[in-house]
Amino acid sequence: MRERKEGGLPPKILVFSTNSISDPGIDLAGLLKMHYPPTVYTITVPCSSGINPDWIIYALKKGFDGVFIAADGSDCPYREDCSQLTARIVLSSQERAKEMGIDPSRIKMAAVCSVCAESFVNHMKKFSEALKKLKENTNESGGKNVSS
Amino acid sequence: MKERIGVYICYCGGNISDYVNVNKVKDSVKDEDGVVLAKTTVFACSDSSQKEMISDIIENKLDGIVVASCSPKLHLHTFRSVAERAGLNPYEYVQVNIREQDSWAHSDKPEEATEKAIRLVRAGIRRLREAQPLLPNEISVTDSVAVIGGGASGMRAAIELADTGLEVYLIEKEHFLGGRIPQWGELFETNERGDILIEKLYNEIIKRNNIKIFTGTEVESFSGCVGNFNLEVKIKPRYVKSGIECNEFEKIEEGCPVEVDDEFNFGLTKRKAIYKFYKNAYPDLPAVDFENCTKCGLCEKLCPDAFDFNQKEEKLALKVGAVILTTGFSPYEPSEGEYGYKKNDKVITLQQLRRIMELSNGNLKWKGKEVKEIAFIYCVGSRQKSGENKYCSRYCCTAAIHTSLLLKKKYPYIRSYHLFRDIRTYGKQEILYRDSCKQGDIYLKFDENEPPVVEDLNNRAIVKVKDLLTEREEIEIEPDLVVLVTGMIPRKNSEIERIFKVPVGRDNFFNEIHPKLRPVETVIDGVFIAGTGQGPKNLTESILSSLSAAAKTYSLLSSGTLKLEPIVAFVDSERCKWCGDCAEVCLYDAIEKENQDGKEIAVVNEALCKGCGSCVPVCESRAIEIKGYTNKEIIGMIDGMLEEVR
Amino acid sequence: MFHLEYDVLVIGGGIAGQETALNLADMGFKVIMIEKEPSIGGKMILLSKVFPTLDCASCIATPKMSETMRHENIEVLSYSEVTSIERIDKKFKVKILKKPKYVREDLCTGCQECEANCPVNVEDQFNFGLVGRRAVYIPFSTAIPKTAVIDIENCILCGVCERVCPANAIDFTQEPECYTLKVKAVVLATGFNLFPARRKPQYGFGKFPNVMDAMEMDRLLSPTRPYNAVVRPLDGKIPENIAYVLCTGSRDVSVGNPICSQICCMYSIKQAQLLMGALPLADITIYYIDIRAFGKGFEEFYQQAKDMGVQFVKGKVAKIEEIKETGNLIVRYEDMEGSGGVKEAEHDLVVLSVGMLANTGITSIFKYEDLELDEYNYVKQADALLSPAKTNLKGVFAAGTATGPKDIPDSILSAGAASAEVAAYIRSLK
Repeated sequence: MRERKEGGLPPKILVFSTNSISDPGIDLAGLLKMHYPPTVYTITVPCSSGINPDWIIYALKKGFDGVFIAADGSDCPYREDCSQLTARIVLSSQERAKEMGIDPSRIKMAAVCSVCAESFVNHMKKFSEALKKLKENTNESGGKNVSS
Repeated sequence: MKERIGVYICYCGGNISDYVNVNKVKDSVKDEDGVVLAKTTVFACSDSSQKEMISDIIENKLDGIVVASCSPKLHLHTFRSVAERAGLNPYEYVQVNIREQDSWAHSDKPEEATEKAIRLVRAGIRRLREAQPLLPNEISVTDSVAVIGGGASGMRAAIELADTGLEVYLIEKEHFLGGRIPQWGELFETNERGDILIEKLYNEIIKRNNIKIFTGTEVESFSGCVGNFNLEVKIKPRYVKSGIECNEFEKIEEGCPVEVDDEFNFGLTKRKAIYKFYKNAYPDLPAVDFENCTKCGLCEKLCPDAFDFNQKEEKLALKVGAVILTTGFSPYEPSEGEYGYKKNDKVITLQQLRRIMELSNGNLKWKGKEVKEIAFIYCVGSRQKSGENKYCSRYCCTAAIHTSLLLKKKYPYIRSYHLFRDIRTYGKQEILYRDSCKQGDIYLKFDENEPPVVEDLNNRAIVKVKDLLTEREEIEIEPDLVVLVTGMIPRKNSEIERIFKVPVGRDNFFNEIHPKLRPVETVIDGVFIAGTGQGPKNLTESILSSLSAAAKTYSLLSSGTLKLEPIVAFVDSERCKWCGDCAEVCLYDAIEKENQDGKEIAVVNEALCKGCGSCVPVCESRAIEIKGYTNKEIIGMIDGMLEEVR
Repeated sequence: MFHLEYDVLVIGGGIAGQETALNLADMGFKVIMIEKEPSIGGKMILLSKVFPTLDCASCIATPKMSETMRHENIEVLSYSEVTSIERIDKKFKVKILKKPKYVREDLCTGCQECEANCPVNVEDQFNFGLVGRRAVYIPFSTAIPKTAVIDIENCILCGVCERVCPANAIDFTQEPECYTLKVKAVVLATGFNLFPARRKPQYGFGKFPNVMDAMEMDRLLSPTRPYNAVVRPLDGKIPENIAYVLCTGSRDVSVGNPICSQICCMYSIKQAQLLMGALPLADITIYYIDIRAFGKGFEEFYQQAKDMGVQFVKGKVAKIEEIKETGNLIVRYEDMEGSGGVKEAEHDLVVLSVGMLANTGITSIFKYEDLELDEYNYVKQADALLSPAKTNLKGVFAAGTATGPKDIPDSILSAGAASAEVAAYIRSLK
């Protein structure tokens, strides 16, 4: 494929979304035919406060370039402190990533509401760009290509 | 692990197949481990396609199906039911979204969209390989309801629930039912009297033998879960026996030497230690205020059989399937000095005015002086700029205007001034406002930043207001009465909040699950809220909400059993070392410590668990997981997404 | 499948009808719902977001719609009308007319192939004429049932849809169907009509392109919006200075509607907040008589709008005139606060906050008895304080805005009340 020839593999992003809040927001982006990189993959869970850091680390180790948590934010149907708990999960995953020599900026989180199609698409574009840069830097400095 | 999986890739007309090469997707996944059948279909959701899937499942003995089509928000239930109709468990089905999150989102890059579809379908297959059949936890329920709060809302809900056949416990803290409504006299918009309405409701209640009234009763504790709650109540003695003929109560009341502020009349009058809130209060039996009683014995002398001072506080355990909280409101109590309240004799609240109107004969008098001019000051205790009551109390504009109409009818010479911010006579109540303008009431609009001032001048009340409608001209009035149109605050019931753990909002009223579509349900399954405890309302609105709560309660309990969502947490008892972290993070008290063969472990109460999964990341020993979202399933999906597409 | 006897007939598939039907169905009663439009959903599904939570209306409405459609105790007949109701003993004999969709609902998959190929263009009533639709069309993207319908009045019978339909669902031989069935109770959830802004000619709606009504604005703001932007109808220009005229057709004796519509203040404030988000540079002015932010969380929502910079001007708008060259509008209003007198202000877009009117016509379906209406043509509540869902006819109940103006939470509550009273009533028949 064209892109691969030009600048290596586009970054693969794993998105954790939530059944009732952020996944409908991501769906809406498609419904409105808004485009974001096709190497974004989504796993939907009930609530972002239930994402296991093990999964994040596993995804990064196995070949995802970035993990993005589309959190419930204040719309969470389960708990008001959802954002804080999710942030805690992200922080502890970033800590663990650092210890393992994985750049913690490969883990990101933002609240995506059920109609936040535009903001989701922007997040994906920005995150993808950032990961691409990160990858290029790693390659230049002789680091291992994380996707290979 | 599933070994006989069927996979269906949907064209969705062209919605998917215009961008995603569905045949390539089918070919790429047909040899995946566990897959025995892979097909494309023009419309997976169509009747014919559903029928085909059912026969495929039966003929090929499939143990699960994957449908790659649109968002699960649209057709998850459709295909779960397909699986079920073919004899599978509804959870032996995985939907993969290749429309909203693939073909449409990447319609600009068909090749990449196809690759993404392959990876997504593969992830779905991996997930299904690890999926377990899940059965809803079915529990039997108690066919009784506790209604906490015996005002109009509670009484109305009790009647409706009784008519559906449920056993109802109507629990009231005071010795008399009726709550706030009998304090009002005529009510808008029908001009029926509050006490008469309560009498009507009471007569309906006693006609039904499946309503048990508990007065003087408070809730002590609450436990259990939806369908089967345990309620402990404490019943204060009334000291007056029911069913005993005694014609001397009036004489006894007269003779009782004790005088205390009459709460029913907002302290405007005194009552005795033996009392009824008002003449036709129900149950029609006086109560003894033991705290203030001097134990003089006069009452016992006059009617020895009617009293029993040996009555003790009683405790009672009730089993109920659901609870409705109808704990009501209190009028906002202005602070001392707020618009001269309690400093100036001429300043009273709207509620007090209504009691004065009820209690006076002939002309309207206050402190012996005839009342000819009244100034109503609106929004007292509501829409506060600096206070904590930011909200509008909804009923007070109309209540004040209706009062002014009643005054005019009874005392045509009275002149009313209305000092307001916005007149909120919404809906048909607007007609009352028009009538009030027509009868000559004077409306002066004040700025929230420049509220009226009530000055005390040698026992006169001078009200000064800058009227926005006449270019902020300062107008001075000297009315005979200044009436503070006070809003609603929730009844003081911190015990109820603590006991039932129903969250309250910033306005201190009970919080519903969703203010738009689920206004009577709370985050505690089986605990409903109705009436003014949820937020300010007039009587009609309170009754609407109490009937709604009755409907929801009956829906919940009508079938005798309850199916609980199977997506809940479960604990690996081998791994669990009980640290309590999961129990601590759980908002729903769904996790408890249990001793299993000498080992302390966490156990999940499936009736309470909501399946949010907050407990999963906090478990150091990785012992707790959510059904349908297990480690194996998620890891499987990640693997499926990452393997190269050949 | 379709039966000849049900416990309850619910007329109207809007949010109140759905809530009533779902409550009753959950209690185990068999319900038939009759909706005159080709999709259920009523007015709510067409809204952008709802106050004061700013939830997207379709996000919270569609799950209820699909639940209604899916429930084993509910049968939904869309594109159908009740033609008569006659009391026979303790039951009602109900006659229903199902209009032909000329599309077989059991075969149509909602793929929209027909729509893509139909050559006819007419105004889209579900987008209030802002855009066009075809003669064969799916009512709107969140429609339930999501099946096509042929608008036979505008169809040119070219047969293209029949040829392109992959499911062979087009059927021009369909005829109107009549059903007669028996029910034990009836719930009127017939909703309301929007005040037609043309009835205030001094506001220039229909004459000046840049005067729109609030329902049109809600469509422009909704996630399923026609243009994906908020633009002026005249020239597609992004508006910079928008005015709202509250109480258009409410609290107005001159149009025969003296009552307040209860929703317009709040939906205007909602739209103002959404516009502030969509068009950060736009000025928004709301001309009002009283701001009636009375419900739970409403006052806070109003204050929030003020803090965001929405201008609130207490003033009755007397007349709106157009400046020919720019298409901008001169709003002439009576300044009730400030210095008083009649003032003028220029805006490049004016939104008329139209109120509610009773949905009349329901009375004529009752045979041999009269359904009582109040003086504003809403269904009269027989016992407004203690049994608000009861009408003057035994066994006939009302939910939602059938009895008077209501917002969504109040409609939901009244639907809950109606279902409770129906349940008790049916039980009393035994």
